[in-house]
Amino acid sequence: MPRLLVQRLLQAIPLLLIVSLLVFALIHAAPGGPLTLYLSNPNVRPADIERLRRALGLDQPLWQQYLAWLCAFVRGDWGYSYADGRPVLDRLLERLPATLELIATSMALGALVALPLGIVGAVRRHGWFDRLTTVLSFAGISLPVFWFGLLLQLVFAVTLGWLPSSGRSGMGGGGFVDRVEHLVLPAGVLALVHAAAWSRYLRASMSQVLRQPFMIAARARGVPDRTLWLRHALRNALIPVLTVVLLDAAIMVSGAVVTESVFAWPGVGSLFTESLARRDYTVLMAFLMLSSCAVVALGLVADLLYGRLDPRVGGDPS
Amino acid sequence: MSVKALVSRPVIRRLSALAAIVLAAAGPACARRQAAGPSNDLLVVAYDREPDTLNRFSTHILEDIETCIVEGLTTTDDKMNVVPLLASEVPTLENGGVRLRADGGMDVWWKLRPGVAWHDGKPFTSADVKFTVEALNNPSYKPESTDGFDRIASVETPDPLTAIVHYREVYAPYAIQFVRGCFPRHVLAGRDIDRATDYNRNPLGTGPYRVAQWRTGEHILLERVPNYWRGGGMPRIKRILFKFLANTNTRINQLRSGEAHLTALLPWDKLRDVEQVPGLVVHRMMGNAYEHITLNQKSVPAFADVRVRRALAHAVDRRMLTRTILNDLAPVIDGPIQPLSWAYTDQVRRYDYDPGRARALLDEAGWRDTGRDGIRERDGRKLAFTLITQAGFTIRENIAQAVQRQWREVGADVRIQLQDGTTISARWFEGRFDAMLHWWQMPSDPEMTLFFAADRVPPAGRNINYLRDEALTQVLYASDRTVDLVERRRLLQEAQRRIAELAPEIPLYNITRLDVVPARLRNFRGNPTNTGIFWNVHEWEIGR
Repeated sequence: MPRLLVQRLLQAIPLLLIVSLLVFALIHAAPGGPLTLYLSNPNVRPADIERLRRALGLDQPLWQQYLAWLCAFVRGDWGYSYADGRPVLDRLLERLPATLELIATSMALGALVALPLGIVGAVRRHGWFDRLTTVLSFAGISLPVFWFGLLLQLVFAVTLGWLPSSGRSGMGGGGFVDRVEHLVLPAGVLALVHAAAWSRYLRASMSQVLRQPFMIAARARGVPDRTLWLRHALRNALIPVLTVVLLDAAIMVSGAVVTESVFAWPGVGSLFTESLARRDYTVLMAFLMLSSCAVVALGLVADLLYGRLDPRVGGDPS
Repeated sequence: MSVKALVSRPVIRRLSALAAIVLAAAGPACARRQAAGPSNDLLVVAYDREPDTLNRFSTHILEDIETCIVEGLTTTDDKMNVVPLLASEVPTLENGGVRLRADGGMDVWWKLRPGVAWHDGKPFTSADVKFTVEALNNPSYKPESTDGFDRIASVETPDPLTAIVHYREVYAPYAIQFVRGCFPRHVLAGRDIDRATDYNRNPLGTGPYRVAQWRTGEHILLERVPNYWRGGGMPRIKRILFKFLANTNTRINQLRSGEAHLTALLPWDKLRDVEQVPGLVVHRMMGNAYEHITLNQKSVPAFADVRVRRALAHAVDRRMLTRTILNDLAPVIDGPIQPLSWAYTDQVRRYDYDPGRARALLDEAGWRDTGRDGIRERDGRKLAFTLITQAGFTIRENIAQAVQRQWREVGADVRIQLQDGTTISARWFEGRFDAMLHWWQMPSDPEMTLFFAADRVPPAGRNINYLRDEALTQVLYASDRTVDLVERRRLLQEAQRRIAELAPEIPLYNITRLDVVPARLRNFRGNPTNTGIFWNVHEWEIGR
C-alpha cells in the first residue's frame, strides 16, 4: 500500500505539470487580460494601462511569465491577486471554509436521500416507486441549478418568507440557527442534484449485484432479505458508487460555481467567477491548480479505498 | 418478502424520531421571518459586486462604499455640478483660485475647510494634499489612474489650510483633480500603498461613515462616525450594510423578500419585477452614459465615406427602438455629451429615420444593388459587416437584431456577433471589430478628446471610430487647454456640432439610471456620474 501511494504521488507530478501548462495556456488564450477591466473606465488613460502592464510584468513573453509563475508556485509563493493586491493564498483560504461547509452538508444530505432511493429502486425494479424516482431523478439531473435555485428563493424566501434567500449568515455572523437557515436552500439544491445522480448509479450497480450467483446462494441459505440487501448487496454495490461520489466531491472543492453565485455563497466558486470575469490570472491559476490537486488526491483516495473494499482490485501491484 | 423487511420497525422508529426532531426544530423557524424594514438604525444595500479594495485611487469599480468614508476636496452633485466638499470653495479664474502662468503652466489654490479631522482625530491639512500628489506620482505605487497628477510639478503648503498646486500646463478638469479625496499622510507615509492592507480594507477618511466589518464574499458594514464635521445630527442613518450579490435575480429576490432595501443601477428589463413591490420606489434619472453604434473606419473602408455613415444613421429608427424595446425608458440622444452636462447643446445636425434618404445617400456614394439580391455593392465588394455586442444583455441583443433588420432594408448585410464583456473590451482596444453596439460612461468633466481626437486612436485613446478629422482635433485640444468656462463651453459645443456633421458613430439613447430605494427614504437625490448615489448619504433619513 505505501508503495502504491508513493508511486501514485510520483505519477501525479508530471500530470500536474502538464495540467499547469495547459491551464496557463488556456487562461492566456482567452481574449483580454487583467487590465481589460480598466478599459471601460473613462478615468483610466491609455498611459495608465501601459504603466500598469509594465508594473505587473504583463509585458514579458508568455513563456517567461509561465516559468516565473511555476518557480514561485513550487516554492509556495502563489503571488498576489491582480484584483486587490492581497496574497492569492489568503484569498483562497478565506473562501474555503464556506465551500467545504456547503459540500459536506449537501453531500451528506444527498447520500441520505440517494441511499434509500437507489436501494428500493433496485430491489423493486420497475415498480411504481422505481418509476416515480426514475422520473424525479431525471428531472433532478436535468433541472438547471441556477433556475431551480431562483425558484426555491421565490417560494421559500419571497412568498413563504421561511428562509433567507441568499448569503451565508445574517449581519454580524449570526448564530447557529441563522447559519443553518442560510444553508438550507443552497445545500438543498445541491443535495437534490447529487441524490438524483447517485441514486441512479446505486440502482444500476445494486441491480447488477443482486443478479450475482453469490446473492442467489445466500438467499438459498436462507439469509433474510434485509441482511441480504443491506449487508451483502449494498456493500458490493457501493464500491463503484464511491468513486463517483469522491470524484464529485473533488469537482465540488473547486466550488459549486453556479450555486454559489445564485445564493451569494462566499465560497471559492464565487471567487472563481469573479476572477474569471476580470482575468485575475494569479487567482485563476492557483484556484485551478488547487482543484486539479483535489481531483488527483481524491482519485487516489478512491483507488486506495477500492483496494480496501474490494480484495479483487489491485492492492500492491508488485 | 417485501420492502417492509427492508424498512423494518427499528429503522422506522429511528427515522420517525429523527423526523420528529427535525420538525420540532423547523417548526418555529417556519414562521414567516420578519424582515426588518429600512430604518434609521439599518439600511441594507443589495450591491452587485464586492469591492477589490476600498482605496479610492486603486479600485477598479464604482466608489459607492468609499464615497461614504473618504471625501474629496470637491464632489459632483446630482446636476453634475462640481461642488466643494473638503475645500471651502471651488477655485476658479474669477475667484482668484486659478492663476495662469506666463510659462504656460497654471497654479490652483485650494483653500481647505477648517475644522475637518480624520476619523482618528488628527486634523486634515494641506500636507495630506501634498502627500497624495507625491504618492500618486511615485512609480512604485500602482493606482488605477494618474491622470492630471502627472501634470503637477509640485505642491506648496504655505499653511495647513492652503495647498497651491503647480501644474506644468493648463489642465481644464483641475476642479475634479481631488474628487477621490486624499491619503492620510500620518498613516501611509513611507509605506508600500499597494500592500497597505490595513488602509486598503479599512481606509481612514473624513466622511460620515467608517468600516465596522468586512466579511469577505458576504458584506461590508459601515457605521456612522461619532463626530462628523458637518454636525447637525448627521448622518441620520446609523449603519449601512452592503451585501454582495452578483446575481441580478438574487438581488431582486432580496428586495422582494425585504432582506435588502436599496439597489443601484437596476437593469431595465428587471423594472417590472420591482415596480410593484410595496415599500420600494424606482428613482429614474438621466445618466451620463450613452448607447451608440461605433463604426470602425479602419476595419471597414466603406465607413470612411461620410455619406455611408450618414446613410446608416438615417436608416435606424431610434424612436421606434426606444418605444418598443426600451418601453420609453430612455430618451433618444444625438451626441456624446449628455443633456445634463453644462457643455451640452442640442443645436446639432440630427439624423431622423428616413430610409429613402439613406438609400439616396448610398446610391450617391456608389453603393448599388447590382446583383439584385437586396445587398448593395461597389467595385465588386458587398456592403457587409459584423456588429458585435455583449452577450447575455437582453436589451442589447434585441436592439442589435432590430438594427440589423433596418440596415438590411436599405441594402446593408449585417452579421451579429455576441461576446462576453471582457472579450468585447479587448477587441475594441485592439480595433478588431467592424461595428459595435455599446455605451460609454462619460467622464463628469465633459472631455471628448480621448474619444474623437485624430491622435487618440488605440492604444493612445478611445477613438475607436478611427476618425481622423483635423478641424475637430484642433477644437478638442483647444477646449482641453482652457480653464475659462465660457470659452470652454463654446469650444465644446463647436466640437459637438462637428461630430454630428461627421457622424463617426450612431448615437442611440441616453442610459437612464434606475435606482431602487425605500419609499420612506428622504433626501435621496441620485447621481448621474461615477460619483454614485451615495454622494449625499449624510443627508439621508428614513421617514415614518
